[in-house]
Order: sequence, then C-alpha cells, then structure tokens
Amino acid sequence: MDRLRNPWGRPRFLVLVTGFYVLWSLIPVGLAVLFAFNDGRSRTTWQGFSTRWFTGATGSVLHDPALQGALRHTLFLGVVCVLVATPIGVALALGLQRWRGPGGGTINTVMLLPLVTPELVMGVALLLLFLQVLPGIGLGSSAQVIGQVTFTISYVVVIVRGRLVSIGKDYEEAAADLGAPPHDQLIRVLLPLLAPAIIASAAVVFAISLDDFVVTQYLSGDASTTTVSMLLYASARAAPTPALNALATIALLITLATLGLAYLVYKRFASSDDAAVMAGLEV
Amino acid sequence: MGACALRPAVGTTCTKATSLTAGRADPAPRRMPSPIALPTHIKPLMHGEIHLEQLTKNFGEVTAVDGIDVNMPGGEFFTMVGPSGCGKTTTLRMIAGFERPTSGRIVLDDIDVAQVPPHKRNVNTVFQSYALFPHLNVADNVGFGLKYKKLTKEEHRKRVTDALGLVQLGDYAKRKPNQLSGGQQQRVALARALVLTPKVLLLDEPLGALDARLRKDLQVELKALQAELGITFVFVTHDQEEALTMSDRVAVMSGGRVEQAGTPREMYEEPATLFVADFLGVSNLIAADASPDQGGCALRVGERTLRASTGATDARGAVKAMIRPERISVEPQGAVGDNRLPGMVERAVYIGSAHELHIRLVGGDLLKALIQNDGSAFAYEDGTPVTLYLPPEAVRVLRPSVAPEAEA
Repeated sequence: MDRLRNPWGRPRFLVLVTGFYVLWSLIPVGLAVLFAFNDGRSRTTWQGFSTRWFTGATGSVLHDPALQGALRHTLFLGVVCVLVATPIGVALALGLQRWRGPGGGTINTVMLLPLVTPELVMGVALLLLFLQVLPGIGLGSSAQVIGQVTFTISYVVVIVRGRLVSIGKDYEEAAADLGAPPHDQLIRVLLPLLAPAIIASAAVVFAISLDDFVVTQYLSGDASTTTVSMLLYASARAAPTPALNALATIALLITLATLGLAYLVYKRFASSDDAAVMAGLEV
Repeated sequence: MGACALRPAVGTTCTKATSLTAGRADPAPRRMPSPIALPTHIKPLMHGEIHLEQLTKNFGEVTAVDGIDVNMPGGEFFTMVGPSGCGKTTTLRMIAGFERPTSGRIVLDDIDVAQVPPHKRNVNTVFQSYALFPHLNVADNVGFGLKYKKLTKEEHRKRVTDALGLVQLGDYAKRKPNQLSGGQQQRVALARALVLTPKVLLLDEPLGALDARLRKDLQVELKALQAELGITFVFVTHDQEEALTMSDRVAVMSGGRVEQAGTPREMYEEPATLFVADFLGVSNLIAADASPDQGGCALRVGERTLRASTGATDARGAVKAMIRPERISVEPQGAVGDNRLPGMVERAVYIGSAHELHIRLVGGDLLKALIQNDGSAFAYEDGTPVTLYLPPEAVRVLRPSVAPEAEA
C-alpha cells in the first residue's frame, strides 16, 4: 500500500515476498549443511562444531568405503554423461537448426519430450528397455550413463539452440563469404561463438547428473553403482548420521563450483548481455 | 572519428590501392576517379561484370525475385533500390551465393556461378549487421579470409596492415569489434572484404545502422573508394537519395521485378514508370487525357491543355503526367501563355534553402513546387491564387507501373 502513497518507492510488499521465498528455500539447505558439521550423531540437535563427519577416523566420508564409493561413482557418471551428452546435443542442435525438410517440427517436439516426461515414466521405460530389449548391456554403469544421457541431451539442445538463434546466420554467411568451407565455418566461427552455451550446457548436464535419483536408481546394478542420491535415500531410514549431510554438502559444493565456473567462463567469452541471460538461466 | 576516414591520405592513395589489388588475376588499368562512366571500349574486359539472366527465386509460394535480367558493368557502382520486400536483398544474396536461385543464371565474367557455393565465389560482402566475428580482434577479422589464399606469414601480415591502412584503422588492429564505434565496425567490415581483392563487392545496406551525418560522409567516401579501386560495387539500399548520389547505375525494383535501370540522371529525369517516378524523388502526378499533337502529346487537364514532349508520348486516353517540383515555375495569377495552369497556394512550407508550395489545381490535383530561397520577399502566402508554368520538356507522360524488361 506504500506504493499508493509513493509510486516511485520500492514495492515493499513484493520485496518482502521475494525475501521470504529466498529464505524459505535456503533454510533447509542451510540446516543440512550446518548439521554436516555437528559434533555428535544427531542430525537435529546441535552438539558443537566439528569436521569429524568429513575426515574423522570412523564413519566419515573420507573413511567410509560406502560413502566414498558413492561419491566416486556419482562423479564418474557426471563426467561421462557430460562427455557423451554435450557433443551429441551440440550436433543435434546444429542439425535441427538447419533442418528445413519435412518432419522438422516433429523432431523438435521429440527433443523436448524428455524435459516434460515424468522421470518415473522415463525410469520405468528405460528399465524395461534394458531388461527386455537390450539384456546384453544389462543394468549398471553403462545403463545409468545411457539413461542419464537420454534425457540430459535435451537440455544441451535447448540451451545451444537458444544461442544459435540469437547468433543468427550472418556470422556463418560471413565466414563462407570470406572463403571458409563448411567445416571451417563450424570450427573457426560457429563453435567459438557457441562456446559459452556449450560450457553452460555441460555444467547443467553435470549438475543434473549429480542430482539425478529416479533414472539412476532404476538402472543401477550392484552396490558399486550406488550414487550419492541413492545412498541418501536408502540410509535416510536406516541409521542416518551427519556423514550423510557431509556427503550431501560435498555434492552441493561440487555442483555450485561447476555452475560458478561455467558462469565465469561464460562471462569471459560472451558479451555482458549474454552473461546476464546466463545468470537468469542459472537461477 | 574523422569524417573523411575512408579515403587514404593524398599521396599514399596509389600505393595503398595498388597493394590491395595486387593479387588480382588481370592487371587491368584502374579507372580514374570520375563521376562519369567511361565509354565501354576503355573499360577493361573480364573485370567483375555481372549479368543476371532470368534470375528467379521462390520461397515456397512466394516469388521474391521474378525472372530479372540485369547487366552490371564491370568497375561500376551499381545500386539496387526499392521498398522493403522488393527482392533487392534476395538478389544480392543470390549473387553472394547465400541463396540458391530457383532458376536463371548469374554470369560473372562469362562464367555462370549460380550453382557455385559462396566460399568459392570471388565476390565478397559487407553485411548490414557487419557480422564482424566478436571473438576475433580487428586484425584477425580482416585476415580471416586470407587463410585461403596460401600466403606467407609476411604477405598475410602486410595485406592486413594495408587493408587497415586503407580504411584508416591501422591503430585499431588489436581491438575487439565491440570496442569500436558503428562507423569503425563498418570500415573493418569493408577492409575484411576488400583485403581479398574481390572482383565484385556486395554491400547490403551498409550505412543503414549509422546516424544521418556519418551516413552522408561515408556515402561520399565509399563512392570515392570504389572509383579508386575500380572494383564493381553492388549496393543495396532502400534510400532513394543514397541511390542517386552514389551510383553509376541504378536499378529500381518492385515486387521482385526491375522497374527500370539506368544512370541516376536517366532514372530521375526520365522515369519510365509511375512507380519509378514516385519512388525516386518527389514527383507531381497529374491525371490527364492524352491525344496526339505534333512532335509530342496533348494532355487535357480540366479546361486546359498541356503539351508534353517527353515520356510515353504515344500513349492515348487516360494517363498520368509527371513533373518534378523544381521544374515548375510559379507565376502571378493571370500570367498568359501555353502550358499554364491556374491554381491556389494551399500551404507554403518553409524548408530553409527553399519554399515548398503545395498548390491545388482547379481540377483537384495537388502539385508541389519549389521556390529557391534567395532572400527576397516571399510573395506566396497560403491562399494566394497563382499560375503555374509547366515547360513541355519537363512534363513527362508515364506508363502505369507494369515492369517492362530491364533496360540495363
């Protein structure tokens, strides 16, 4: 109502709502991180500061093989997923952008399907695929990678295509005009211009892979293919210790570091306008 | 930034231009910088001459370019002008190779290049957006296409330096495009294209993004540069004034067809169609009824008769006659003689160097006439009855706007 009195003033009510929302969304994360440093076995009662759940002699992330294995496998999946999904996604984006023939619209829609399909449906479908149609591959790391790549590709395609649209055709045409054959148009002009989007989409793929539970869970094989999210879910009811919080905290830090790094690289490559777009994309 | 930056300093002109064009296959003598086109027999052959033959481009159901025939003589400044959607940019893009013609030929120095991909054509383009590569500095932008010329490092460096010198941006080699002003970017784009010594330079509204003043300066500089280098420039614009002031030859396009092509003087003074008359400059149109007259055509306008000695004087029946505002003489009411029409000043507009009078004829047509502002007292306030003298040689009978075959 302040706005009625002073239309040039800050919209205080909106500021309040926004502030409340930001707090509300950060509190659970903050609490989880806080109790990773609890000097006791409780995840609800504060017993003093300690890093025992990170590096302590017993039950810490550093010394519990199960926790460590989960972290290692999670990172492994993330890296492989990025290495596979990003190039394929970039190629698809380039191909779709140039696709002028019939069926282009259909393929566009298909590319977006994984973004809106409930993950559970995707997980069950992939499970059936690997059990019934492709038993040769079997469940485990390979299946998990294929599963994650299947839906993370869509993010790469969406991000890279967005950049392609904003780049337009002029640069490619200019390169062709100056004598560059198609291969050089791609390598010397298009890829450098797409670099920010490629890095951003790689970071997004990595973050999603780290975070993924449903598909990864369905396609997991033995204990060695357990990821952080699976472990958190499984032991939440068993005998949870702040070591789980410590594990989650590490995963969170890796995700934040990845996105932060991607943002910095993006900013270095792209103009300031683009960086603003990227900032919006991350939030 | 210097207004006259495009042209190299006097004295260095020749060496710069020579080094830029040194790699060309035929060492043809360069044209003298001259606003008048040289006679054909002096012009070097095989020198960036373009013939468009029945060139057509369809985008689905839409025909963007409709079987045009255009002759662009080598070494000339050729301008395609027309309203948006007239097909001028599509034509340019077909010459560049970005669009594949639906049918027809693009003959560049006797070779049909219509099916040759853009990177294999010896033509270069200055884009409306400049399309400077944002990730490369100015020198790398200019040197981009030299990679395909198989030069030594030293030659490469020298040609980049020369090209940047030509557009007076030698000190900006290490800058990124986004650190340059619009006018500077435009000149980098020009250097990037010229460094490859193309036979033909295509310019797609290159001045469109610049402010009016800079635009005017660059018009002059661009024209001077073209005359010095002797490269064929094919220039696309929607600005009729730009077309008239810069070109050796102009083609007015409309609806995917060439309405008329010729020198700026021909186009302005002898427009073949209503469309051309209307598009290039201010034109007064008078509805009249044409009948034969010795050596010309008699036009019945209301109660009066005008004699017209130019244009489609063989036309009969209802026609439109055209006269430019600067050709009309405004006389006091009651002046007698042939080719005079009575009217009344509806509005007198002061435009600084002249007064523009809007004069309503008795028949209802509105004519604009210019009276130079020579400092004397202005006698034609709103509502003044006047007599207009329309010299027979200035009254032009027009065909309606049906595109005839291109004359170029």
